[in-house]
Amino acid sequence: MKKLTFFFDGIEVSAIPGQSIGAALLESGTKVLRSTRIENKPRGMFCGIGVCFDCLVVINGVPNQRACLTEVAEAIQVINQQGSGAYPIEGAS
Amino acid sequence: MITIIGGGPAGLAAALAAGESGSKVLLIDSAPRLGGQYWRHLPENGAWGKQEAIRHDFEKGNQLRQRVAQSVNIEVLSNAHVWRASPHDEHITLHLLVGGVGRTIDVKNLILSTGAYDRSLPFPGWDIPGVMTPGGAQGLLKGNYVLPGKRIVVAGTGPFLLPVAAGLAEAGAEIVALLDANRLTRWIPKFHIVLANRAKLREGLGYFQTLAKYKIRQQRGSAVIQANAGSDGTLESVTIATIGRNFRAKAQEIIKCDSLAVGWGFTADLSLASNLNLKQDVLEEDKSVFVTVDEMQRTSMQNVFAAGEITGIGGHQLSLTEGKIAGFAAAAQFGHLTDVELKGKLEPLLAQRKKERKFASALISSYPVKPGWQEWLAPDTCICRCEEVTMEQIQDSITELGATDARTVKLFTRTGMGMCQGRICGRAVIDIVGRESGINPTIQDYISASSRPIVTPLPLGILEHAPHIE
Repeated sequence: MKKLTFFFDGIEVSAIPGQSIGAALLESGTKVLRSTRIENKPRGMFCGIGVCFDCLVVINGVPNQRACLTEVAEAIQVINQQGSGAYPIEGAS
Repeated sequence: MITIIGGGPAGLAAALAAGESGSKVLLIDSAPRLGGQYWRHLPENGAWGKQEAIRHDFEKGNQLRQRVAQSVNIEVLSNAHVWRASPHDEHITLHLLVGGVGRTIDVKNLILSTGAYDRSLPFPGWDIPGVMTPGGAQGLLKGNYVLPGKRIVVAGTGPFLLPVAAGLAEAGAEIVALLDANRLTRWIPKFHIVLANRAKLREGLGYFQTLAKYKIRQQRGSAVIQANAGSDGTLESVTIATIGRNFRAKAQEIIKCDSLAVGWGFTADLSLASNLNLKQDVLEEDKSVFVTVDEMQRTSMQNVFAAGEITGIGGHQLSLTEGKIAGFAAAAQFGHLTDVELKGKLEPLLAQRKKERKFASALISSYPVKPGWQEWLAPDTCICRCEEVTMEQIQDSITELGATDARTVKLFTRTGMGMCQGRICGRAVIDIVGRESGINPTIQDYISASSRPIVTPLPLGILEHAPHIE
């Protein structure tokens, strides 16, 4: 099966084309995708189908993207979203 | 032109019925590939060693998708999120976000088949990473070939838990336990309905066989009442309890697991139906909301049909049947079918629908959600996941601020004001406020929970350039 590579918090993750970012991360052992705005609590995939907005990550510098809906693409930079994601980590293009 | 929103079983069936009758069809779907949640799939699904885990009825989905692709009358618009449907006198304006770009389409004839999502109940720890809905867990498998964890507990209520647990087991996960809050004895008075739906019976028995093959611990009259995190903040164990008929927790036990799939049936996605002010009603038995349709799946609005889960939760077979009826009826409106032809096509479908609706109704009464679940909640249990509102804050808004309905609680506490727009906690908050305030929610309370003028979060720039939002 064809594979592609993207990055989560700077670390390489391998995925199958068509997989969601959230699924590929889960496969690589990553369950925590973000921390909440108010209580700074860890959150991960919950509904898995784009309804709950709990799996929000920053993709190529754009915050609030649903990891469960967004399909993996070669070399994208995904980071764990802190709070509202309004101030993405520097250098995340 | 007939426009269909939603490319799951109902939308596919409607598109084929209308398109193959000679009508021009535009099928709008938010996913990259047609099939809905039921037939979610990867672009190439050949080279995986665990195909048997997701084979259930998959061939049928492939056939329908192929027929759609071959039909010259059906145009498919994928990756297209309808974020608003605005009703006008002579037409409906659909506002879309297609691959991040805004676009509008004016349509005169519409079939809505927007489907459903898992119904969740809040409980202590349900926001810990590792806790998912059964639909989400199955979606990982079907659409990604990924397991949600290695040691999985499947819980909640409903027949859907069976294929979820069976599929995950076949794909190599250890299913530590399958817990259903309801007992199978609820089926006894309805067994004649099961016998009239033999395909369903066979399907169910097949799942039980798989569960037996993998020696999965099954417990009915039990529920997960708390999820517990380990030192890394992710799920480490669940607290399970035997529960009475009213869901009150009794004897408790802790089970180690790294993943929990928990769900309580399904909630119809009625956001677009609400945009169009389609007449909706509430099912007496479980207070679920549905779009009212007539014999031909016509809604209260002229030239707008509805099919599938939004007309009442009933599974993919009923969705297919309703989709066909809506598709043929819409095609007949354009003269693509004569009255006699329509009658001939509808006759077997109407009988089929009647049988399937009876089964759906038996399911709903066999897997009720009883109010005792609210006793599992602690004061600091998160109820609204988006806005991080606790049970205590909701209680305070009732006892200290005098709120007596979910809408007022929302204004005081921000429940349902987050990005999911109350899709996850909305129904639960209505139930909690009803119980805590002692004032029964009204039918309108349930219906207005899915009122979302803008259906999905948008970049402001899209809104700025959108014409005539009404």
